[in-house]
Parts: sequence; C-alpha cells; structure tokens
Amino acid sequence: MHNLTEFLAKYKHWFLFVLLEVISMVLLFRFNNYQGSVWFTSANIVAGQVYEISSEATSYLTMGKANKELTQRNLLLEQEVKKLNEILYAKTHDAKYKQRGQYRFLSSFKLIDAKVVSNSLDKAENFITINKGSWDGVRKDMGVACGNGVVGVVYLVGIHHSIVIPVLNSKSNISCSLQGRNYFGYLHWKGGAKDVAYLDDVPRHAKFKLGDRVVTSGYSSIFPAGILVGKVKHVYNSEDGLSFRIAVQLSTDFGNLRDVCVIDDASIRQQKQVIDAATDSIKQLGTDYNTTE
Amino acid sequence: MNIDIVKIFGWFVVLILAQVFVLNHIHLFGVATPLLYIYFVFLFRRNMPQWGSLLWAFIMGLIIDTFSNTPGVSSASLTLIAAVQPFVLRPFVPRDSAEDLQPGVNTLSYVQYLWYAATLTFIYNLVFFSLEMFSFFNILTWLECIGGSTLLTLLLILVIEHVRSRV
Repeated sequence: MHNLTEFLAKYKHWFLFVLLEVISMVLLFRFNNYQGSVWFTSANIVAGQVYEISSEATSYLTMGKANKELTQRNLLLEQEVKKLNEILYAKTHDAKYKQRGQYRFLSSFKLIDAKVVSNSLDKAENFITINKGSWDGVRKDMGVACGNGVVGVVYLVGIHHSIVIPVLNSKSNISCSLQGRNYFGYLHWKGGAKDVAYLDDVPRHAKFKLGDRVVTSGYSSIFPAGILVGKVKHVYNSEDGLSFRIAVQLSTDFGNLRDVCVIDDASIRQQKQVIDAATDSIKQLGTDYNTTE
Repeated sequence: MNIDIVKIFGWFVVLILAQVFVLNHIHLFGVATPLLYIYFVFLFRRNMPQWGSLLWAFIMGLIIDTFSNTPGVSSASLTLIAAVQPFVLRPFVPRDSAEDLQPGVNTLSYVQYLWYAATLTFIYNLVFFSLEMFSFFNILTWLECIGGSTLLTLLLILVIEHVRSRV
C-alpha cells in the first residue's frame, strides 16, 4: 500500500497528463459526431459576446461596401417588382390580388434577424457564429439566408448565440433545384474556392443552360422553395457517369457576411413531422414483413 | 514567486488576445497561420511543477479552442507540448546554470534556443494539424500547413525573443 501511494505521488503528473488528453479527445469527438455541447465553441455566452464586440467594431470599416451592395440589390429588386406587378395586373386586372397572396405567404414564415459575429473561410469545416440563440426562437436545423442568397443551416444553439454550418463546409448538404426546370440535386462543397459549390445527383436527361439560376427546392425540411443559391457555372459528369455534377457560382459572398436572417417556417415543421411519421411507418412495415416471412 | 505568477498570467492574457483577434485571421498563402500562443509553454521555468505547467497549458488550449471552434484540438496538442517541454529542454541547458532557469536566448545561446523552439514548434504543429484534419485528410495540404505554420510561428517567436533579450 505504501509503495502504491508512493508510486502514485511520484507519477501524479503523468496521470494528470493522461486525464487532460482524454478530456481533450472527448471534446474533439463530441463536437464532430454529436451536437450536444455548445460550451466550448463560440456559441457560448462569453465567447459570443467577445466576438460580438469585435465584429461591431469592424463593421464600421466595411459599412460603405455593404451600403453599396444593398442599394444595388434594392434597385434590382424594385425593377423586378415593377415588372412583375405589370404582368400580374395584365393577367388578373385585380389590384389587390398580390397583397392578399403576400399576406398568406408571410404569415407562414417568421424571419429572425441576426448578425454574424464570427466567420471563417479557409478551413475544410467552416463555421459561422450568429448573435441569436434559443431565447430568440432559433432552433437546430433552421435555414439561414442573407439578402444575396442561402447561407447555411443552424447546427448548435446556445442561449444567445448559435453556430451555423454554411454552404462552405464539407458537411453541408442542401437540396436545390434548377429554377423553372424543377430538376433537383444536393449542394456540396469540396473545399478550395470560396464562391463555388457543386450540385450532385442531377439526372442526365435534365436540360439546362449555363447561367441558369439554382434555388432551394423546398424538398428538404429546412428551406422553403425558391431561395436563390447561385448560377450554373460549369457541368461535369459524376464519377459513376450516371448523373451530372453542376458547378454552382454561389450568389452569397461569404467573405463579407454581416446581416442574415434565420427562417422559422411553421409549415416546414409540419412537413417534417409528416415525413418523419412516414419513414417511421415504412420502417414498421419493413419489420412487419420480415417477421411474417 | 508571486511576481512570477503575475508575469505568467500577463503572458497568458496577452497571447490569447493576440491569437484570437489578430493571428487567427492570418493565412499566409492559404496555409501558414502563426500559432504564437505556444510561446507561453516555451517560457516555463525548469523547476516549474509538472502538474502546474500541464494545467496552464490545458486551460490556454481550451480558451483558444473555444474561440476558434476547434474543441479539443489545441488543448490536446498544447498539453502534450507542456508534457514534453522539460525533456526537450534538458539537452540544451548549460551545465552550471540556475535551477529555475527560464529558457530564452539570454540563458541559452541563440543556436541552442533555436533548436529548442524548433523542436517544440514542429511537434506542436504536427499534432495540431493531424487532429484538425481528421475528417478531411489531404496529405499535401497537411504537409503545407505543418511546414508553413511551423516556419511562421518560429519566426515570430525568435523575433519576440530577440526583442526581449535587448530590453
């Protein structure tokens, strides 16, 4: 017994070493595989606050460019609205038609405005921290978009901050379609360029042109249909030759991201519930068959 | 002794702030990021209790991780560095030196210090980038990151040591 205590006392720092390494490894693997802990990421309150202060300070420096972009975007949208209004009026001859539709559309969404407080671009696994959390109604798996297009999906939620997996992350997987043609595929990012992602699994019989708009499909339970993702830049064959892989020029400038909004869509949640119920019942069906055989 | 703890704490805060606000945003040629905070471990005196240096290193790694969204990566690597630091230091220490020698270009010579710092920096970067790229492995990027960051970090540390030795 005396020898044992002496042994422990002599080598206590090695036990401490092993203990600390084990804690580190637990943190590492938990973060990568399981979304339980927000404490040791930038979604925790202290780190989030510090980043918020620093991002507020730096936001003044990029204000000019952001303003210019917003003005341009506004102008573009205004023109588009005017054009669409004219077309709509010509078709329906009803001035109130659009207003009624708009209210219906808006009541199904709730948009939560948020600011980006930290952002990375150069890693394989990029993350964005935003300054809204569970107290503001943000939940896991909500979609995040900005004025120029899709940003990503909420991954971890803290009380006042959340971490978003942007399109620029190898784990990101967003269902997209080619606007007006309705062929769909999944958007992935392969590292490298910050403005190009790849749309996989587009069927080979799909017809489209370079420059076609790529939008969210609304099939996933995260984004409503029709949010801009980017434009078709190039087309490749997939590795197995069974489908197309489309290089998409992303419309969102991830290097200059400040104001985003989290999309809280009640109808999407209902849709997800139905899908979950359906998959469950199919599983049930499968086991039933297995037992009868 | 108390002055020493205050000094250590000072370095602790300054290095973390510098890393989080400035150095984490530097990516020279897309590969080299200076990881200056490991300089903190290089400063540990020879007679510093091992459990103390391990704990300091672990906490620092944890804070850096929290800010850069890499849970466990730098805490694991920094704890490892703190554990091997006395063994790396031993061959470079002059025979008749003080018991509480603090590694630096003043106490060791320039060449000795360079070897000491280079060895530790290399081990650190090797472990750090291996852990970080766990899921997205690409041997070329891995080598570039290790090489680039080791050189850049070492350069910064030598500059700081040089300035400190003049003061």
